Amino acid sequence: MKQEIAIVAYKCKKCGKLHYPFHDRCLACKSREFEPVKPEGKARLLTFTRIYNLPWGFDVRYLVIGVVEFENKVRAMGQIHVDDAYPLKNGMLLNPSWGPVRTQYGEHVYGLVLEP
Amino acid sequence: MRDVAIIGAGMIQFGRRDEDTLLDMLSYASLKALDDAGLGDKTVNAVYVGNMGQGILQHQSSIASSLVDRLSLLPAAADTVENGPASGGSAIKNGLLAVASGYYDYVLVVGGEKMREVTGWRATDFVATMTHPQAEYPYGITLPGMAGMFTRLYMEKYGVTREMLVAVAIKNQAMGGLNPYAHVEMAIDKEGIFDSPHAVVNNPMGADPLHLYDMCPVSDGAAAVVLCSLEAAKKLKKPPVLIAGFGQATDTHTLQEREDPTDLKAVTLAAQQAFEMAKLKPSDISVAELHDAFTILEIAESEHVGFFKKGEGGKAVLAGKTKLGGQIPINVSGGLKARGHPVGGTGVAQVVDIVWQLRHELPKERQVKNAQNGLTVNFGGFGNNVTAFVLRRVEQ
Repeated sequence: MKQEIAIVAYKCKKCGKLHYPFHDRCLACKSREFEPVKPEGKARLLTFTRIYNLPWGFDVRYLVIGVVEFENKVRAMGQIHVDDAYPLKNGMLLNPSWGPVRTQYGEHVYGLVLEP
Repeated sequence: MRDVAIIGAGMIQFGRRDEDTLLDMLSYASLKALDDAGLGDKTVNAVYVGNMGQGILQHQSSIASSLVDRLSLLPAAADTVENGPASGGSAIKNGLLAVASGYYDYVLVVGGEKMREVTGWRATDFVATMTHPQAEYPYGITLPGMAGMFTRLYMEKYGVTREMLVAVAIKNQAMGGLNPYAHVEMAIDKEGIFDSPHAVVNNPMGADPLHLYDMCPVSDGAAAVVLCSLEAAKKLKKPPVLIAGFGQATDTHTLQEREDPTDLKAVTLAAQQAFEMAKLKPSDISVAELHDAFTILEIAESEHVGFFKKGEGGKAVLAGKTKLGGQIPINVSGGLKARGHPVGGTGVAQVVDIVWQLRHELPKERQVKNAQNGLTVNFGGFGNNVTAFVLRRVEQ
C-alpha cells in the first residue's frame, strides 16, 4: 500500500516563512507560531550527488541523494532511486513517495524516495 | 581585555598512527608546544582539548581530565571542547577568552583525533553524525556527499571547473610533500588524476562531481599551542604571535534551508569579525590556512573571506595566485588535503602552521617571505559553525 509522505514542514503564522525541519522560533522573524504544511505535487531537483564511499549501515554499491523543492515550496532531502548511469539533471521533476531508505537492526527506516 | 599571544606551538605527524592512543597523541603534541614555549617549570592554569569523536570512536570520555594527569599539569582546569570539525578553533577561542579576561595567565590548547582505528565505513558514519538526525542522516548522506551537492551548485553558478578543483589538489599535495608533518607526502600531476586514461582508475568518483583526489584523507594526529598575555610573551625569547582577531558564526543545520546554498554565510561573517577585531583587511594577509576538506572549499572560502570576488577563486588557483610566491599563498602546509584532517585537531594545526610562518622559522621551500599576518578558517559541519583567526607577528 502506498504510504503518505511523512514530512511535515512548518509555515510561520506571522511572516509565512517555510521551515523543514522544525524550529522552535522562525528563522526570519523569531515568531513561535507555525501551521503544519505537507509537501504537495512533484519535486523539482535542486542538487544531487552519487556517493560511492558509503557510511556504515548501507550494504549497496552507491547511493544517489538529492535535495528537492515541492510544488508548494517545501524543500527536503531524499534518496533518488535510479541506476548509477541515469542522466539526472538539476531542475528536473521527480515523483516523490515514502519508502524504505535504510535498514537498522533488521527493520526498514522510511524516508523520502524520489524517482523519475 | 588583555592582548593574547601564542608562545608555543607543536604538532606530531598526521597519518595512520596505529601505535598511539588518542591520549598519546594529545600528550606528544602538548609536550612539543610546552617545550617550544620555554616556560620551564612554570605550569599552565588551564587546558582546553578540541576533540570531536572520543565518545564514538574510542568509547571514551573526559579526555581533558586524562591529559592534565598524564602531563602532570594538576590541578590545572581542564575542559574538552566539541564543535565538530571546528573543535580545534573553538578550543583556541576558549583559551583566548580565558587569557584575555585575565582569569588565567597560561593556557594550553590541544586538538586531536584518532580516526584510523575504525574502518572507513565507520569513520564516514562518524563524521556524518553531524548532519541533521531526522532530515539528512537517515538517507545515508555523508560529508563528501554534502560537498558534492554544494560543488554541483557552485559549478553551475560560478563556472568552477574540474580543472580548477584538480589544480587545488595538485598544489596542496605538492606542498604536503615538503611538510614533515603531512599525512599525504605524494605529489600528483594533472595527467595522473585528470586528463589521461589512467586518471579514470587513479581518481575514481567519490561523491559526484567530486573525485577521490578532491577529498582530504581520514587522519590520526594532534597539534597544540600555548597562550599567555602579550605583555608576558614579550619577555620570552621567541617572537610572540598575537591573536589579533577572532570570529565565529553559525548557519542553518541543513543545506536546504539556506536561501542560497552556495553562500557560505558563516565563513564570511567569521572572517569579517576576525578582520574587524584585528583592524586589518584581506589584502593585509600574507598567508592563509583555509579548510580544504574538499577542493571546492578552498576555492569557495578564498572568495567568502574576501581574497577574491565570487567566481574568481578558481581562476586564481589556475593562475598560480594561491601558491607559495603568489598573491596570497593558501594552504602552504598542504592543507587538510595533504597535511590531513584529524577532525578535532585541524583548527589547532592550522594555527600552528601560521605561527611557524609568522616566526619565519620554516625551511625556505615552505616559508612565505616576510610573512606578517595570517588567517585561518576552521569549517564545522557543512559550514554551519565556522571559526576564523587573524594572527600577527610581533617584533621583539
